[in-house]
Amino acid sequence: MLTFGHPLFLTGLLTAAVPIWLHLYYRRTPVPKDFPSLRLIRLSVEAVVRRLKLRNWLLLALRLLVLLLLVLGLARPYLGSTFGSLAHTGAPAAFVVILDNSLSMGVTHQGISLFNSAKAKALEILERMGPYDKASVALLHDPGTLLFTQLSWDKQDLKEAVRNAPLSYSGTNLPGVLQAAVKLVAPVRSYKRAVYLITDMTSVAWKPLLESGDVLGRIDPGIELVLIPVGDGSPPNLAVAEVSLDQPLVMKGRPATVWVTVANHGDRARTTRLSLLVDGDKKQEMPLEVPARGRQRVKVPVTFPAEGMVAVTAQLPADALPHDDVRYLAVQVLPPQKVLIVKPPAERDGTPSRDDLFLRFALNPLNRREGATFLVESREPEEALSLRLADYTAVYLVNQRQLPEPLVGRLIDYVLGGGYCVIFLGSRTDPEWYNAHLLDAPGGRHLLPARLFKRVGNAVSKAIAYQLTDLDLGHPAFSLFATEGNGDPRRAHVWEFFQVQPNPGALVLARMSHGLPGLVEERRGQGKVLLVAFSADTSWTNWPLKPTFLPFLHQSLAGMLGRRGLRGEAIRPGMPVSMVVQQEDLQKVTLVPPQGPPVELPIRREGGGEGLLHFSTTRTELPGFYRLLLEGKEGTRTEAFTVNPPPEESDLERIPMQKIPRFRPVTHRAGSATTLGEKVQEVREGKDISRFLLWLLLAAALAETIVANRPSGLRAEARA
Amino acid sequence: MDKTRRLSRFLDPKVLASIASMEIRARSVVEGAIEGLHKSPFKGFNVEFAEYRSYVPGDPIRDIDWKVFARTDKYYIKEHEEETNLSGYLIIDTSGSMSFKGDGAAFSKLEYAATLAASLAFLMLKQQDSVGLVTFADGVRKIVRPKSGMGHLKGICRELEATEPTGATDIGETLDRVAETMRKRGLLIMFSDLMDSAEAIIAKARQLRTRRHEIVLFHVLDRQELTFPFEDTILFRDLEDRSEIVADAYALRREYLRRVQHLVTTFQSALRRAGIDYLLADTSRPIEASLRQFFTRRMAGGIRVA
Repeated sequence: MLTFGHPLFLTGLLTAAVPIWLHLYYRRTPVPKDFPSLRLIRLSVEAVVRRLKLRNWLLLALRLLVLLLLVLGLARPYLGSTFGSLAHTGAPAAFVVILDNSLSMGVTHQGISLFNSAKAKALEILERMGPYDKASVALLHDPGTLLFTQLSWDKQDLKEAVRNAPLSYSGTNLPGVLQAAVKLVAPVRSYKRAVYLITDMTSVAWKPLLESGDVLGRIDPGIELVLIPVGDGSPPNLAVAEVSLDQPLVMKGRPATVWVTVANHGDRARTTRLSLLVDGDKKQEMPLEVPARGRQRVKVPVTFPAEGMVAVTAQLPADALPHDDVRYLAVQVLPPQKVLIVKPPAERDGTPSRDDLFLRFALNPLNRREGATFLVESREPEEALSLRLADYTAVYLVNQRQLPEPLVGRLIDYVLGGGYCVIFLGSRTDPEWYNAHLLDAPGGRHLLPARLFKRVGNAVSKAIAYQLTDLDLGHPAFSLFATEGNGDPRRAHVWEFFQVQPNPGALVLARMSHGLPGLVEERRGQGKVLLVAFSADTSWTNWPLKPTFLPFLHQSLAGMLGRRGLRGEAIRPGMPVSMVVQQEDLQKVTLVPPQGPPVELPIRREGGGEGLLHFSTTRTELPGFYRLLLEGKEGTRTEAFTVNPPPEESDLERIPMQKIPRFRPVTHRAGSATTLGEKVQEVREGKDISRFLLWLLLAAALAETIVANRPSGLRAEARA
Repeated sequence: MDKTRRLSRFLDPKVLASIASMEIRARSVVEGAIEGLHKSPFKGFNVEFAEYRSYVPGDPIRDIDWKVFARTDKYYIKEHEEETNLSGYLIIDTSGSMSFKGDGAAFSKLEYAATLAASLAFLMLKQQDSVGLVTFADGVRKIVRPKSGMGHLKGICRELEATEPTGATDIGETLDRVAETMRKRGLLIMFSDLMDSAEAIIAKARQLRTRRHEIVLFHVLDRQELTFPFEDTILFRDLEDRSEIVADAYALRREYLRRVQHLVTTFQSALRRAGIDYLLADTSRPIEASLRQFFTRRMAGGIRVA
């Protein structure tokens, strides 16, 4: 934008009319002359008229240009200031410096730290603050921080904040931070308002902003957005992009597979060495070749000898961006899981019920005490009363007519606290008692995920064989069967089942072939209840005889175990972590970060009287392995989670400046004649181009002289 | 007295004196033979009847065949095969463009051409040749039949005096008419600025040449036409059709001169290839210089013929 120091001189532009008038006047007053024949003249005119017109117009244009440049030069123009009427008025500035402190700014390339360069540029901008200017500083990391929520006049405070700004290990939140900055300066309309963004220009940082509609277009045009890039080019970068397990449960002493994905963000294939550490001990090291702009996924077999939370670390040799060369995974190594089957009471003649036979077999086929995933206990309801349900991963209720009232209450507490209850129906099931005691109990404490109605089909005649349909293949219990070759539960037959009506919040995991719900699951508190509308043995169905029954039971249990507690959840830096536990005796929760002293977290009791305790923390800035020590009267339990930088931050590819609308780029290289502060000043006030215009005026005048006098020169030649 | 003055307007004594020693030599085509100066393959006057032709003013009354007149009520002249002397036509362009007289010039183009023509007529008559006159513009205006004897000079000069330059130029039609009129071989001397289609002029001249006429063409141009000395933006008015054009004269000069040069070169090369004498008559030059140039060329050509 062009602004003027002496705009009154612009009235001189009226003199541009003079050459136009002369041009028109001389064009219209030719000297008359008789000539023998115009034949040759006409032919000549046709040949030269175009050239002639061009010359005349060129002369006119040059003369106008001379006048224009003279007037503009005298009016002292400033180029580039977007502050319009505020320019040259001495109005103070109000601005926000957004400092990119995302992970990608941690690059050290050719001995220069990008983040330090960015800080130096921010300090240079702040140094130019006038006594009446006010400013703020924002950090660009995700979710972003406005270091000064009000614009401040205190230059020293602002500079100190920049000096102390830490490098974050998270990504960027450009749309959020930019909007916050704009919101801060928007109200002060009498100031020259600007937002200076100092960034390494990675494509991933800009993508959300450029794809989020016309965010930039909606910003007040009176606010100058200035882009100050740091760094030069994208150094090659290798990163550990992902560390994961291929199985939901990791059992003590059993082999497990850790998958590690290494990404190469450079333009050449790279060879590197991948190390895998378990609790700090190197377990594996292997060479690895990663294709250019590609990924390499490798599997590393690991056996965990002890149970508990284990830190798995995948590591590469450090490169330009060392923070993404290591990635953490928290693995909970489990001992064999106890499962309780509540079977029907023995017959009057003392014959024990065999309804649990297939369940016991499916959960622990060889009935082993050592090396088994699940240790199964089968008890009658009266016996179950004496057991501590929290010790069990899951409780299966099989073909129960009724349950003792105390057991119902404990089962509900168990589920609310994170337990997993699976209810199989059968010939003994009394639907009225189930509905009355497990569904319509006073106080809203219910266990049953669906209301029971009449029985459908006839298992004696087996006249009609129903099948399972509409499997929820996204649910952990059935996800295994989404892959072809893993069997199909739909091949099992069901001859008799209960018609059920799922609760409003319940999920139907499978339906019978004529559409009635077959398996219904409902989340209750921290736990879940699964209702199977038919029997667990072969009296109503042949599913227990099919090869898909066993994986269904195992997968549904693993899915439940996999979501208990934090389970090694991967957190991004700075994200809050919270946990709800049902542990009446919980006294103290301590967070042990990867660096620094342990921190005790405040515990908050959840409402509802269900004995739920809640605690959370946001002290997750550093990548690494975090432990949570949950101390109770009966001992200390350990939970863990890991914090890893966002893998997309490893891609250091820069976005071309031309693709960024609205922002005005101000580039500055170390050692150049003009300082960044001076360039920023130019942005604020505009660049004085009067001297340049006067040079241009001289050039135009010279050109006009040459073009105008060229005929004279030729006349002289002709005369000679 | 007046007549003498008018006559002398075209018979500049100085001019005539400067060329008095010169003789016109016809080339081999000219069938005149008188006093041994002109080579003639024929025997003498009125030897053999050739044909009848229409009477044109200037023909001797005695040559009218009255018997034919009695039968047809039209005047016919009885022609014979043999002509005695060199018979020549002076053909003068009297179109509007010939009225042009450049700044500082002594003559208009027509005046210059008429002076040249009268001078040549005088000389031809002086050596017993017969001379006729044709004036034309966009068509033939006047034809004066060739006659010998100095008394005829007066008639030619009167005709020249009476001619006013006007109208456009159509040389092709004129040459056609001259060819019809001039049944025998003879000398055609044409004075024109050739403001007509060059191709047409050249084609017609060649046609005449194939009839074994000897042709001399004076291309009469003013100095300003040859140098185009204008510099300002000028409203040019055509002297023939009064059309106008505004142009920057200086910017035009180079292109105009190129075209003039090209035109002159075209006439020069094409006409000379056809055996036609082409002379560029610059009206700023003295008339005697142009005549001298003409005779020098003729004498050089005469070496071939004699």
